[in-house]
Amino acid sequence: MDLANQSNGAAIDREGALSPARKRARRDEVQALKLAAPGILWMTLFMVLPMIMVVYVSFWTQTTFAIEPTLTVDSWVRFLTSPTYLDSIVTTLFIWIVVLASTLVIGYPVALLIGLMIRNVTLQTALLVVCIIPFWTSFLIRVIAWRPTLGTEGAINSILINLGLIDTPFTSLLFSELAVVIGMTQIYCVFMVGPITFMLARIDHSIIEAARDLGAGFGKIFLRIILPLSLPGVVVGAIFVSVMVLGEFATAAALSGRKVNMLGNIIVSQVGSLKWAFASVAGVILTIIIAIVITTLLRIVNIRKEM
Amino acid sequence: MLALKSVSRHYGQASALDGLDLVVPDDSYVSLLGASGSGKTTLLRIIAGFEEPDTGTISLRGARLDGIPPHKRGVGFVFQNFALFPHLSVEDNVAFGLRYREERPVRDKAEVRERVQTILDLVGLEGLGRRSVGAISGGQKQRVALARTLIAEPKIVLLDEPLGALDANLRERMCDELHAIRQRLGISFLHVTGSETEALLMGDQVAVLADGAIAQMAPPDDLFRSPTSATVARHLNAFNIISGTVREGRLRSPVGALALPAGIAAPDGQPMSVALPYDGISVKPRRDEASDGISARFVTAEFKGPSMLSFFRAADGSLIQSLVHLSEPRPPRYEPDQVYALDFDPELLIAFPERAH
Repeated sequence: MDLANQSNGAAIDREGALSPARKRARRDEVQALKLAAPGILWMTLFMVLPMIMVVYVSFWTQTTFAIEPTLTVDSWVRFLTSPTYLDSIVTTLFIWIVVLASTLVIGYPVALLIGLMIRNVTLQTALLVVCIIPFWTSFLIRVIAWRPTLGTEGAINSILINLGLIDTPFTSLLFSELAVVIGMTQIYCVFMVGPITFMLARIDHSIIEAARDLGAGFGKIFLRIILPLSLPGVVVGAIFVSVMVLGEFATAAALSGRKVNMLGNIIVSQVGSLKWAFASVAGVILTIIIAIVITTLLRIVNIRKEM
Repeated sequence: MLALKSVSRHYGQASALDGLDLVVPDDSYVSLLGASGSGKTTLLRIIAGFEEPDTGTISLRGARLDGIPPHKRGVGFVFQNFALFPHLSVEDNVAFGLRYREERPVRDKAEVRERVQTILDLVGLEGLGRRSVGAISGGQKQRVALARTLIAEPKIVLLDEPLGALDANLRERMCDELHAIRQRLGISFLHVTGSETEALLMGDQVAVLADGAIAQMAPPDDLFRSPTSATVARHLNAFNIISGTVREGRLRSPVGALALPAGIAAPDGQPMSVALPYDGISVKPRRDEASDGISARFVTAEFKGPSMLSFFRAADGSLIQSLVHLSEPRPPRYEPDQVYALDFDPELLIAFPERAH
């Protein structure tokens, strides 16, 4: 310790010259800054500044045809006192919770199959690619495709009628909350499957064998070993799904027949009618909700430990 | 008593185990010596139930084990890589079996705590219970793995190269402790290893696994003194194995004509292998070519602390090893590429007559 201090001190004292270790450390810092610079620049220009702008605009004065930078809380008061808009917050949260739950319930077993049960890496990769194949068509087509599937004379109703299982077609399949949930679950499920699969694939099989050897049945092994070890994957998947679902508008617009209005739909329609201040209020509220959701999810596990 | 009867296991064309018979008596320490790829791990996995045999039966104290799922076999398994649960503390790792086993789980928290404490004391982990398993050393992980298995009081514990991941110092200490722990518990250990020193040191009995079957099972000194086949002798890593044909009471081999021990009466033309102990050779300066024995070129020597291992290459290219214990007069420095005569007392040879082809 003393020796190190002495030699260190000596290295700096000598005409202010830096020791090789210090020089290396300084060079690494400069290097790190250079690598981070493009990202920082991009995020500042296209995320931080616009976000500040959105918050600022939400306090501007909106008239029917114009908007002027006179500060007022009018838009906020109007939003927070209108049942229609408050309902949209509830709808957004409701759709989010249901889609999050359904992607988890459908996605986890798929991840379990690909990540844990199948030991052949080639087959694992092939199945993951299969999960991604729907992405080869555009988002909009995947959403719209649910209309001829779920409609009154759509595929599901036709099949059920032809099988003689029902007499009259289900009318609530399309243009309902159910349709929105089905559509979103299909589109976002893969974002849940991926991260969970990767976490499960990292579990050493001998750990599971050890648990069996100690006398635990499948239920206990799942609950005590597999689930806790895959939890970081669940959290990452939940963050992906949450961020995308909370900001959604296209699926709701296409499959609900305008019956389901999420915050995203409000923003689109307000921007469409040039109500910038009002759209900004909805935007700020949505951002706050997303921030709270992500923070809460990150509380569940320490992601940093998994890197 | 654990008994395996003509157990076979094939992977495609290759057979890992081929009609293997093995008996592990109650309250004993059996070490199983086998080269890598000899099917050691397969054998343990079949006993533990992670795999099933293609044919044959396994029984523990008279009850059939094959066909029963691993969590109902009552067989303990200590994994080579420890396989600790990374998200649990030392205590929770050890308590896992008691808490979560399907049959007779212990629900009383105080009892679990007490039994965990007792077993942690037994394996020498007092006071480390609350540590995360990521924050302990390799030797401590080994003890956690052992404690986790022992707490369930299995009838037999299978150890898959349990010392392989430890450094040499620790390995020796763990050897002693494994012995002591087993004796205190009075259960059977089946310890699989690729190291002959470990196998001989640990086992009350040593079984040699070769070609998918047990080649010989005997107490260590018996095994060392009288291996029953050249294969077994080769596994002990203490013998030069020389093969040839008997002619006029001598073994004609590619390395030279060797005198056979008295009492070995073999007809001419009888194929035979002999095991020549590494430490039974005395190295002499070169003699004339015509005489008996082995002439070989010195290659190199390894200084091993208490002993010196010298390598010689015989005329046919085969390697012959000579070990000198340094308690004896230190051997002179041999000259590389110089031919020496390797002398030995024929009575030291162990002969294995082979069936003529």
